[in-house]
Amino acid sequence: MTTDTTTRPASATPSWRTIDLMTTAVIGVVFGVAYWGWSSGYTAIETAAPVIGAAKGLLGGPWLIAGVVGGLVVRRPGAALVAETLAAAVSGMIGTQWGATVLLSGVLQGLGVELALAFFLFRSYRVWVAMLGGVLAAAFEMLYEWDAYWSGMTTGWKLTYLGCFALSGAVVAGVGGWALTRALAASGAIDALPAGREAADDRSP
Amino acid sequence: MTVRSWQRLRAPGPLSLVAGCLVPVAGTFAIDSALEGIIGLAAQVLALGWLIRDVRGTVLRAAVGFVAAAGIAVSTWLYGGRDLGEAGMAACRILYLVLPSSMLLPLLRPSQLGDHLAQRLHLPDRGVVACVAALQALDAFAADWRTIQHARRARGLGLDGGPWHRLKGSGATAFALLVVSMRHTGAMSVAMDARGFASATDRTWAEPAPWRPADSLLLSQAVLLAALPWLLH
Amino acid sequence: MPSTRCLPVGKRPTIAARDPRTGGAHVAVEALGWQPLGRRTPVLHDLDLTIPAGQRVLLAGPSGAGKSTLLRALAGLLLTAGHGEVAGSVRIDGHDVNRRLGGTGLLLQDPLAGVVAETVGRDVAFGLENARVPRSEIWPRVHATLSAAQFPYPATHLTRALSGGETQRLVLAGNLVLDNGLLLLDEPTSMLDAVAANAVRGAIQREVRERGCTMVAVEHHLEPWVDFADRLLVIGRHGEVLADGVPAQILAEQGDALSAQGVWLPGLPAPRPVPVDATLVAPWVDGPQRLVTATGVRVELRSSLADRAAPPTVALAGVDVELRSGQALAVTGVSGAGKSTLVSVLAGLLRPTAGSVEADPALATRRGTRPWRWRSRDLTARLAWAPQSPEHGIVTATVRDEVLASARACGRDTARAEARAVGLLEVFGLDGLATVSPYHLSGGEQRRLIVAATLAHGPYGVLLDEPTVGQDRHTWGAVIGAISAARDAGAGVAVSTHDLMAADVLADDRTELAGGRVVR
Repeated sequence: MTTDTTTRPASATPSWRTIDLMTTAVIGVVFGVAYWGWSSGYTAIETAAPVIGAAKGLLGGPWLIAGVVGGLVVRRPGAALVAETLAAAVSGMIGTQWGATVLLSGVLQGLGVELALAFFLFRSYRVWVAMLGGVLAAAFEMLYEWDAYWSGMTTGWKLTYLGCFALSGAVVAGVGGWALTRALAASGAIDALPAGREAADDRSP
Repeated sequence: MTVRSWQRLRAPGPLSLVAGCLVPVAGTFAIDSALEGIIGLAAQVLALGWLIRDVRGTVLRAAVGFVAAAGIAVSTWLYGGRDLGEAGMAACRILYLVLPSSMLLPLLRPSQLGDHLAQRLHLPDRGVVACVAALQALDAFAADWRTIQHARRARGLGLDGGPWHRLKGSGATAFALLVVSMRHTGAMSVAMDARGFASATDRTWAEPAPWRPADSLLLSQAVLLAALPWLLH
Repeated sequence: MPSTRCLPVGKRPTIAARDPRTGGAHVAVEALGWQPLGRRTPVLHDLDLTIPAGQRVLLAGPSGAGKSTLLRALAGLLLTAGHGEVAGSVRIDGHDVNRRLGGTGLLLQDPLAGVVAETVGRDVAFGLENARVPRSEIWPRVHATLSAAQFPYPATHLTRALSGGETQRLVLAGNLVLDNGLLLLDEPTSMLDAVAANAVRGAIQREVRERGCTMVAVEHHLEPWVDFADRLLVIGRHGEVLADGVPAQILAEQGDALSAQGVWLPGLPAPRPVPVDATLVAPWVDGPQRLVTATGVRVELRSSLADRAAPPTVALAGVDVELRSGQALAVTGVSGAGKSTLVSVLAGLLRPTAGSVEADPALATRRGTRPWRWRSRDLTARLAWAPQSPEHGIVTATVRDEVLASARACGRDTARAEARAVGLLEVFGLDGLATVSPYHLSGGEQRRLIVAATLAHGPYGVLLDEPTVGQDRHTWGAVIGAISAARDAGAGVAVSTHDLMAADVLADDRTELAGGRVVR
């Protein structure tokens, strides 16, 4: 009785498959929990050792990793932005000292990674691209922190902080995120996604 | 005002709650002295405090913000010219950013936020649903994290060495959690597609996403809080 | 004013309720093939199958036979979470399954995989929302389905407050609400205790009977399904059909052959434990008589991250239990009774909120006699633990390293540890997989691997959470054989299990828990 209405043309199939959407979202949620965990470690170091000064930018890299991993695993425009924003939102919802302002950070950092991937037309996912993503994510975040957080600091301090943050972004988020993606692909857990498919191709006889 | 309409005004929807957390951020940049900051913070408490439901939880969340603000104040004092006024101002700026969130975020329900993002802001339906569904698994992922840590401890790879050892162990745990959660994601995707999600680009919604007077009220308060430091200026 | 995108009825396709008299969906499979990427051989090959409307099919076969794969193929979901080459076609009521709207009705092993929403009502509504059913029709259908399913909670109840069995019944309702006449079941009760499994099975069978759905069920244990099914389809390790017909007849004619393949059949005695050489599983050195004594143990677990105002749950309340050398203790009870928590407490992984957990003074380390205070590698040398889900227990990159990890961490003699590891992998049928990543094993293989990893380094105490889940008759015998041999060689064993057959064969002593207390 519903013969005509129970089929639809194949062309209407959305370009993001369910697994792409869910993987992006789950990466966001999982890293959100990790961000929340890291926020207490970050605050502990920041409060206990204010003498580290601008070098605390080095502690910022872990905040950028969800975007890199999201972009590298799902390989679609927007995945990095959504993963990073959701991760920030989740950490904020569980409760960190930054409240909902983490959303702003999440969006900016995610855009930084997107920009790096877009620069390579979403075709290259090598370690250099991931590192550039980490650097740009740190730079974008600094647009907001410059005045909101570090208003009392000298410009020299701010530039040192930015340098440390960008370095941490390149190493922890860039190289780290790239290595994590590779290990994840090797585990076979993401065989349905482009990064996993590539690894499965390498595994196949 | 009747009790019921009062109750309704105390229950703003998710979009105005997020706005209430974020819009006042614009005021932060105008805070130029500790005094301005303290006046602004008092205004925030007066404007938003009546919405709080869980007082203890809110105080705990706010306390974390105070610790962070203290840290910033000390840094600013050390590196910003050893000026107490500057340090106080930096701390107030941070608190002005985060205090609204401490008060409003506990009231936010993710599934309601999803309804509103999709129906009111017209974000892509399936993306919104995926994010809400992944959030449902939050507790499952937290439990997974504990189980993996237990397994590593039982196998002699637990977190009881120096900081480097701990960092490595946490990284390995995070990786294992990612693998486990990616498998779970595969199963969830299969279950969702079995209920017709693959083709649900333009779906209906079981719950509406109304904008109520409470939302307009909260939004105007948020705008006032954003403007206040500029006016004090 | 609510802004909704209620779509005008008639303009958009909607799913009309299926008339129960017309029965279930008709399924036609033609030349179906599936070869996942990176595999040498296809999992399914040139399979033809017709399932008339309303037929109840029970799908059986040895582990690794591609039963779950066939179910996913019937649902048109092979490419949802996998990648490879699909051949042939699946048609449901004449429509290509991939272009059919409204889903297929599928229950998976893990109930949590099926939950998408915050509340019971929203979760049931999920499929209707996807099918563009207008809001005014959604809620009547949700309420009708929940009440027909005799679901014990209102639509506003939070999904995260449900038990595993209740969650699976919710997922059932969320699939049935679509009225698509087909229900595919992928071992939906395998993660549940006997009581919850009965409830879920009862709900499924009642609904299938009343709605006249076509059903295809994969279950490890056939017994509770044999009388309900019209047809038994047995497939072999290469996806080939071994038997197809009336269940009672197949069991009578081919029961022995199927049993020899490892398939669990009704009415057979427990498989004989495989004899295992004591030198593979014995404690590294002999331990004291009493290993760990728990007295008046109470454990409260942290509340939800999502709802941080929720109070902690009391998992154990006033439990006394003892882990003794050369004895096997079976901890039984329904899900949520505290079995896993008790085993974790004995394994030194959870700190009791009240009461004491003390090891024998002979096992003391510099940190004393309380196992939860021990350093990780001191703990490993004394007590081993396997989690309920083996995937969570994987800590290395190859099967061989996995079995050796604990021995390395606690500094055991390499040659002896390697000999034990090799022997155990052979006992568990994993010897050909030593260089493979543990993540690439099947669930059943992973579980045996993790059990092997608790035995290889010869701890005094071996604590296992559900060691027999997902095993066929052969591998079940190997797992029980290895655990028994460890016990006979002097290890203290505690097993938390839903598998009463395992408890019967293995246990010298039993503790049954309910609501965190010992009831027997």
